[in-house]
Amino acid sequence: MPANLQVNVGGLLMKNPVTVGSGTFAYGQEYDRYFDVSRLGAVTTKSLSLKPRAGNKPPRLVETPSGMLNAIGLQNVGIDVYLREKAPWLRNKGCTIIGNIYGYSPEEYAELARRLEAEGAADAIEANLSCPNVHDARTARGCTLVAQDPQQVTAYTQAIRAATKLPLFIKLTPNVLDIAEPALAAEAAGADGIAIINTLLGMGIDPETRRPILSNIVGGLSGPAIRPVAVKMVWDVAKVVKIPIIGMGGICTAADALQFILAGATAVAVGSYSFRQPDASMKVIEGLAEYCERHSVANITELIGAMKV
Amino acid sequence: MPYLSECEVTSHHELSPGHYRLVLHCPEIAQDAQAGQFCMLEVQQGYYPFLRRPMCFERIFKDSVSILYKIEGEGTRLLSALSPGQSINVQGPLGKPFPLEANHARHIMVAGGIGIAPFPALAEAIIAKLGVTPEIIIAARTDSMLLCEREFQQMGCKIHLATDDGSAGQKAFASEVLRALAPGPDTIAYCCGPMPMMKATHRVCEDLGVRCLASLEAEMACGDGVCLGCVVEAKVEIEAERMVRVCYDGPVFDSALINWDNY
Repeated sequence: MPANLQVNVGGLLMKNPVTVGSGTFAYGQEYDRYFDVSRLGAVTTKSLSLKPRAGNKPPRLVETPSGMLNAIGLQNVGIDVYLREKAPWLRNKGCTIIGNIYGYSPEEYAELARRLEAEGAADAIEANLSCPNVHDARTARGCTLVAQDPQQVTAYTQAIRAATKLPLFIKLTPNVLDIAEPALAAEAAGADGIAIINTLLGMGIDPETRRPILSNIVGGLSGPAIRPVAVKMVWDVAKVVKIPIIGMGGICTAADALQFILAGATAVAVGSYSFRQPDASMKVIEGLAEYCERHSVANITELIGAMKV
Repeated sequence: MPYLSECEVTSHHELSPGHYRLVLHCPEIAQDAQAGQFCMLEVQQGYYPFLRRPMCFERIFKDSVSILYKIEGEGTRLLSALSPGQSINVQGPLGKPFPLEANHARHIMVAGGIGIAPFPALAEAIIAKLGVTPEIIIAARTDSMLLCEREFQQMGCKIHLATDDGSAGQKAFASEVLRALAPGPDTIAYCCGPMPMMKATHRVCEDLGVRCLASLEAEMACGDGVCLGCVVEAKVEIEAERMVRVCYDGPVFDSALINWDNY
């Protein structure tokens, strides 16, 4: 009998534990040309803001060893176009939707969450409190992110919590001394899950021109290069919170995804690797099923946090 | 619809120092491919390089396509070691092709360096579909970097050569050669090459009232409109539409749409 891959992520039922990293899957349509995206446990949307955003000037992207740096700057269609054009397509397709949101204040996040819930345009909310690419890196202290300050995480999470009954996930940054602190703050403020990790801050310089490679100077590092960091942070957070974790950071294969699950993640997201292999997330689902069969695992939930130490 | 296919290398040659022609057996992709479109090549397995490399089609045959490229970095250097008989994963065809517009008497292609890459396929399409033979300006830094002269001769195209150092053809920039050809409102120009060269070509076309299509290049992660990494700034007031994706909205754009001030 095939293994049961279904998971419950803080009230969000997913038929398998695999979703996609926000910003690596647009709003689902493009990759539906390669595989049926409704087979995913959930589709996580690009971050949505109240107003459309053009994002940063190019160059926005550069390849790095086993990964890439990006500074897109949250270019997105805005909530209105999402509700009018993107969500109906995802709904019609039968996708479970994690609506990722980005705002400039707790009120903006709350408004976005309210609208997604009211229009039935998401089954869960993922609040991006950790985008590194929408701040001016030229200032002396560089960028500071909401998710770097546990008090702010509390305030933002409370505001969104009050605005929606949908399962609420808080996406945190790895650019902190102790990831457990913002995770605990989110949990105490009513979050239903923790999504980790967003990208690691990084930069590159062209020695010939002596100029930064990215127009934003600083960007976010993703891909297999960051995977060990991400697995460790999932483990760190799993030890202290009771709410589920969506683990991500350089997942390319089912074996990678299993590392996150064994470290304590309930669900996982395939991120940048979809750029290389558009159907990578589907192959991860197939690989998880195959693993469960090979190891006589009846329910994939048996593997959550099951690392043997 | 794009395919993901394992394709056999049928031939691979160095044309001049650092410049290669790769021929791939890919019946599905070749059947759908149009001039101006591109594919994403998986250079090798594993995570180095992490991303695919975007390459436009030089020529499109029944069961295969050819690709012209220049070694620019690690990815293309690794690619150049591929031998006939080996296979490579190809994603494509991607992007918007050159529109083939019948209402122009004169078609002039303007190529800078490796920017010659999409033009053999375009010339074949113009000849086959529009029954007109295009002219081509082949410009490069120096003699050894002028590519495809023989191919265009065989197609009967009128060829104008130019080099920056005067080692072959006129010592002039491609845009200056274009201006000297006195194109008019009955002309359509197609350009591909370094950004400053396309900017200069656009300016000449703007001056002379010539419609100009530019085929752009950019670093890209997905090739599919998803990552938003390859955008260029368009002359659009609407915030949400200002950044256009080279991979998905292009790579072929009306040159009047692009904000060339950035280059």
